[in-house]
Amino acid sequence: MDFRLPAENDPRRAVVRKWLSEHPKPSGRQLAEAGYTVPHWPKPWGVAAEPELQFIIDEEMGRAGVMPPNLINPVAVNNCAQTLLSHGTDAQHERFLMPALACEEIWCMLFSEPAGGSDLAALRTTARRDGDHYVVKGQKTWTSLAHKAQIGVLIARTDTAAPKHAGLSAFLMDMKSPGVTVRPIIDLSGCKNEYNEVFLDDVRVPADRLLGKEGEGWRIATSQLQTERVALSKPGAIWGAGPSARDLVNGLAVSGHLSDPVVRDEAAKIFIEGELLRLLAYRALSDRMNAKPSGPEGAIRKMLAAPHGQHIVEMAKKVQGPRGMIAGEQPFPSQVGSGKGMFADWDYAFWFSPAVTLGVGTQEILKNIVAERTLGLPRENDPTAKLPWTEINRAKSA
Amino acid sequence: MNFLLDEDHLALKQSAAVFLDKEIVLDALLKPGASVDQANYRGNWEKIAAMGWTGITVPESYGGLGLSCVDVAMVLGEMGRTLAPSPFLGNLIGTWALLRLGTEEQKQRILPAVAAGTARLALAVGDAAGDVADHSRELGAERSAQGFLLKGARAFAIDAAGADWLIVDAHNAETGRRGFFLVDTKSDDLTVDIMNWRDLTRQVCDVRLNGCVGEELAPLTPADWAWVRDRILFALAAECAAGTQQILSMTAEYAKERVAFGKPIGSYQAIKHSLADMLGQAECANVAVLYAAWALSEEAPQASLAAAMAKAFAADAYVDCTHRSIQIFGAIGFTWEMKNHLYLKRAHANAELFGNSRAHRSRVIDLAQQAAA
Repeated sequence: MDFRLPAENDPRRAVVRKWLSEHPKPSGRQLAEAGYTVPHWPKPWGVAAEPELQFIIDEEMGRAGVMPPNLINPVAVNNCAQTLLSHGTDAQHERFLMPALACEEIWCMLFSEPAGGSDLAALRTTARRDGDHYVVKGQKTWTSLAHKAQIGVLIARTDTAAPKHAGLSAFLMDMKSPGVTVRPIIDLSGCKNEYNEVFLDDVRVPADRLLGKEGEGWRIATSQLQTERVALSKPGAIWGAGPSARDLVNGLAVSGHLSDPVVRDEAAKIFIEGELLRLLAYRALSDRMNAKPSGPEGAIRKMLAAPHGQHIVEMAKKVQGPRGMIAGEQPFPSQVGSGKGMFADWDYAFWFSPAVTLGVGTQEILKNIVAERTLGLPRENDPTAKLPWTEINRAKSA
Repeated sequence: MNFLLDEDHLALKQSAAVFLDKEIVLDALLKPGASVDQANYRGNWEKIAAMGWTGITVPESYGGLGLSCVDVAMVLGEMGRTLAPSPFLGNLIGTWALLRLGTEEQKQRILPAVAAGTARLALAVGDAAGDVADHSRELGAERSAQGFLLKGARAFAIDAAGADWLIVDAHNAETGRRGFFLVDTKSDDLTVDIMNWRDLTRQVCDVRLNGCVGEELAPLTPADWAWVRDRILFALAAECAAGTQQILSMTAEYAKERVAFGKPIGSYQAIKHSLADMLGQAECANVAVLYAAWALSEEAPQASLAAAMAKAFAADAYVDCTHRSIQIFGAIGFTWEMKNHLYLKRAHANAELFGNSRAHRSRVIDLAQQAAA
């Protein structure tokens, strides 16, 4: 056992630093072509980096101030491109992979629907085969980035007679297709347009945009939710980005609040949580380096990290007093906090934070998963799991 | 970097688990009216001595096993999991103290006997409030013709009863500072009484020194006491983390078996979610302890921070999870005949000994600020 992180003089760092000095402001395309967007992928997309090298690349990119591609095009880089690599055809790889990794085409994930949040497999959007096209009809919601995306990974029902999990298929849909309407959801932060509703009115999707085979949609969707890269960097408050517990303690030190014993104690609790989550993330990395199969640790970490993030931004908000209620007001001088992207804004991160125990599995669903898969407690009984999908709806309307 | 345990560590943990599962029986403590006298302290210690664990941290040059803190974490964890009533922890703490604070002559005289299991050490540094910081005048040391004469008291001394040598800290009248002294417990001017301590699996003692002679240990620097203190915090944390994991397993198994309204209670989300929370705490406590064990083994700069984080987190996790366990077991978990209270009491005791979680969290802030500077 060795908790040492790769040293400052690690020769692998020199290679990355050299590239960064030659490309001081790398474009998305340059990063992707160098293999630094998905370093853990095989060549030519990545550099087949073992987890330690990935760690080095992430750290060096952060120091050089490079905006990580997985924050610019998260759906593609973190989730869907991996699925495309595993399930896509050669022609699909050729057409979609490089523009996605270069962040030239932004992706979104068309999964959730108004009628089913946690019960994702109950989704109602249908894709009916019509010659060399599928015709898609339905509505998606809580779609991040749909307003910017060129490509949507769509899960739709191709077989309404099959049980709910079995009748689903995955598609790579062009978001500019006729019949696609994107409408922003104004969330409670009111600040930025993070989520959207997407209406699909007889959208014609070419049959060669089917990802995998018909009926594989559920498997593809769930694998996408699990391929999220181990968060190698700082355990930031919001989805791993934004301010960390270390930033919080530094901020409270600068603002003088640490002399209040109650603030000090709360801040220390949050700091310790943050350090332990960081260690758990490293341990997951070691598991991968030792080729141990990934278990439910991802769900455990998400279950711990989401409320941890809320604690970070809540604490910062609380010490502001009434000034914290002024829109856009920051708790600490601007030099505090090393996060990147929109969540580096403490005020926005706070108002956004209720979402982190809802998105990518609500806290309650995650606790069910953890209790069932890790502790072996009895599974929740889903009376609709085996029924043909059409009968579920009949049972509901009766 | 490799955050996983080596094969050797896992083998040591496994052999400790097999041994303790076979030898440690807590049944006598589950009869109402039981006290630590029924805990088989001495019998368990004899068996542990036969395993060679009396000298687990004694260097090989003094006849011990010379194991690192990561190895010790494996054994301590199993001790904590089974509650193993025995003076293992007190002797371990005393050994660390002598290793760091003793002179070479004292180490050569005492450590081989400790390793052989023929002598036992303990540390007595708590004042009447349980404070172990360097401001207690409750024990004074004055130089005399026979050596230093120690007068006063120490409390909350783990496993002082039956120890052959005590290490105490006292206010040295000569220097006006804190000093550490070695006391032979055969002295007539010393009494040790086991306190009426709620944790029935551990002997925690009052020590009265009525002018008995103490040998001065090697001159002390603040770093020396910190070295010992960090290891004590780690040891208590290791027991807490393993106890948390154990109480989680026991409670999850019970939730699968106990049926209410026609279903195992573990199928209700109120129970599931509490158990999932416990699991999260157990995972964090475990990684905190391993990190501290590694940092101490390596004498890494962050060792004090890691030990303080481990003690603060693991003790709170243990207290919370033992409480939840009783709630999930329901009223049966509130009875003396169930093991739940033994774990609950160990959790509270460990949380209060050698500084509570809030005190360590306050230190964490300072240490983190120093590390960042």
